[in-house]
Amino acid sequence: MYKSAHFNDYNAIKGVWDEMYSENSTIRDHYQKVISYLSNESTDNLNKKEELARRLFMTQGITFTVYNSGEGIEKIFPFDIIPRIITAPEWKLVERGIKQRLTALNLFLKDVYHNQFIIKDGIVPIDVIYSCPHFLREMYKLDVPYDIYVHIAGIDLIRDEKGTFYVLEDNLRTPSGVSYMLENREITKRLFPDLLPQCNVRSVTEYPTILYKNLMALSPRRISNPTVVLLSPGIYNSAYFEHTTLARLMGVELVEGRDLVVNNHKVYMKTTTGLQQVDVIYRRVDDDFLDPLVFNPKSVLGVAGLMSAYRKGNVAIVNAIGNGVADDKAIYSYVPEMIKYYLNEEPILKNVPTYQLRNDDEREYTFANINTMVVKKTNESGGYGMLMGHAASEQEIDDYKKEILKEPRNFIAQPTISLSAAPCYLQGALQPRRIDLRPYALCGPDGIEIVPGGLTRVALKEGSLVVNSSQGGGSKDTWVLM
Amino acid sequence: MPEFKIQHITRYTYEGLVRDSANQIILYPITDVAQEVLKHDLTITGNPVVDTHIDYYGNQVGSFTYLEKHSRLVINSEVLVVTHPKELPADDIAADEQWQMLASVQFIVPYIDFLKPEYFESLPELITTIESERLQGETPYQTALRFAGYIYKNIKYLPGVTTVESTLDEVWKLKAGVCQDFAHLFIQILRLLKIPARYVSGYICPNHNGMRGEGATHAWAEVFIPNYGWIGIDPTNNCVANETHVRLAVGRNFSDCSPVKGVYKGNSGHMLEVKVSVEYKGLPSSEPENLIPTNQFIQTIESEPFTTNSYRRYQEIMLMQQQQQQQ
Repeated sequence: MYKSAHFNDYNAIKGVWDEMYSENSTIRDHYQKVISYLSNESTDNLNKKEELARRLFMTQGITFTVYNSGEGIEKIFPFDIIPRIITAPEWKLVERGIKQRLTALNLFLKDVYHNQFIIKDGIVPIDVIYSCPHFLREMYKLDVPYDIYVHIAGIDLIRDEKGTFYVLEDNLRTPSGVSYMLENREITKRLFPDLLPQCNVRSVTEYPTILYKNLMALSPRRISNPTVVLLSPGIYNSAYFEHTTLARLMGVELVEGRDLVVNNHKVYMKTTTGLQQVDVIYRRVDDDFLDPLVFNPKSVLGVAGLMSAYRKGNVAIVNAIGNGVADDKAIYSYVPEMIKYYLNEEPILKNVPTYQLRNDDEREYTFANINTMVVKKTNESGGYGMLMGHAASEQEIDDYKKEILKEPRNFIAQPTISLSAAPCYLQGALQPRRIDLRPYALCGPDGIEIVPGGLTRVALKEGSLVVNSSQGGGSKDTWVLM
Repeated sequence: MPEFKIQHITRYTYEGLVRDSANQIILYPITDVAQEVLKHDLTITGNPVVDTHIDYYGNQVGSFTYLEKHSRLVINSEVLVVTHPKELPADDIAADEQWQMLASVQFIVPYIDFLKPEYFESLPELITTIESERLQGETPYQTALRFAGYIYKNIKYLPGVTTVESTLDEVWKLKAGVCQDFAHLFIQILRLLKIPARYVSGYICPNHNGMRGEGATHAWAEVFIPNYGWIGIDPTNNCVANETHVRLAVGRNFSDCSPVKGVYKGNSGHMLEVKVSVEYKGLPSSEPENLIPTNQFIQTIESEPFTTNSYRRYQEIMLMQQQQQQQ
């Protein structure tokens, strides 16, 4: 055993896959080096490192905003100093699985906005697609560069009690969190400078470079220095820190809607030296707010006329408009079928079994077994509007059921999956906490690239299964080994 | 084969100078067997380049921007259109069979989009009304005509009581409105009856004795009849929309067909005026040609005056909208 007491009383949760401990309570090989390194440090030293991490996050302004009754509260994203470690074979599977899934999802988007073969063949029911608020008829027959709709995907993965990876949701619109992947690594480098090279951890710092390369490649004007901008909703947005970070790392302009204008179906940025044509927009503004002329007329975040510039191919928009029809939670359950349909392959990553509450029998089953279910709204993200059956009161369940019956199509249910656990350094001791994984996949004309790593989110509250930052989650540095 | 010369003027007048105006126009009459466009002249302040495309519903849609500072924007559309009367449905298939045919198209594009009723507060009341007014054994076509008549009788035609933003609930409670509200309610009823129905925007070109909707853009509905296709029914005038109705666009609702809409920058209110005038020839008529010399602008919509603190209002909007959820 180890010298320091804080590593001896780690109690893995029964019946849960532990990333560090194997079934017979031995430390898995890939965690050995880290644990033996850490066990040589005194509690005092580790506490100091934890404190240092907190101060680094604060001084660098690495924050996010929790929305509460109209007011934004800025918080630092809690960071756990113990990295989450993924082996090379595990990563290989994840990488192959995500590439396969993303390829199929891109084909699906192209199909659903053009010939609709998949609807005609009855693979995805037409009413699920046509009732999806994010199925935008404005995108019908609109050609996007290289037929790529999803340029950036944040596909959430979890592991069940056997360690099998499952896809929990596909985020194909404005996935966020990649700046935490990058910053967490920077912090780890400062906390444990010698540990990363010793452990053969693969680098994630190429992310902005790959993203920038892909954005440049989308430019409709074939010129050597196209103008790429990052369109942010503004300073009150929860991910504003991320928008500034990515713009800085890529060396592109950070703009808001009011900085852009459309003239004669081309987009221009207002600069001190006049209008400058914009070729590529990496937008972090939702579809509905992107063009007040075509979508929400009350939007002050968008650019009026943007859709006409996009339709004419004078500007590339990343991610494409209308992707919400592919990451709708009611459509999620058809993704394995899509993979078979478009690629003629068996899905590498599994889906969590999903009940469609628009179907009477599935809804009845869900209501009868609600204590073992998680019910989600099909078009919400970030852990908002969820019902965790095992933790909810009778009253909450009744209210939620009424809500479901109003518009059953907008809800799905999944069995509560017992997420895997990883060791966290909390109050001077190692304790298991539940985690998920969001790798970031980038799709460009050269294909799909996934930087080896991602964002591991952790439910810091004991016993909690919700990892969303808005619901008290934290994060860890994510190591993929060579 | 009546021939119409239609002039449609849309004029925005701003209190102060505005700029960066972006606009979308759906002012191009549909061309098909029943309707031919001989000539179309479009004049817009500043002579912007108008780009057109075909939208999801098959309508021709134009868009343009006008960046320079301006205090008014005028869109003048002059079309010369020939219409051909369409034969009415024979309606000789058994009612049961027709309803079955409608049931079978429920989940087929494009009908699926034209079958989704919207939810509003008085929906249960409307459903009860439909149940009691409906006659069993009638064909979909007869049913549609029955409900066009029902609306014509029970809803008052009162220009000015509603706006383009009025909801079904308001119309149902007021029991009054204009053509747009009539069409909206009619479509809702048909969809509840599972008859595909779509919104039509266009012009009404009466040959004599004034019909409702003259002098402005008009709206009615198209109803899908088995073994026939789409037929226009105008609940505002309780008639079949035939050669006197010129179609501009079809869609699920008003906002899919909105003839002119725009966005501009500038902190000032605006006044919108719309005028439509029609000259026609070729229709048997007791009146001489060149009817309707109306010159006054109608359909005036005034925007709210800026009485609030604009700075704070801006801050509130920013705060509210920027806080959109990132995935």
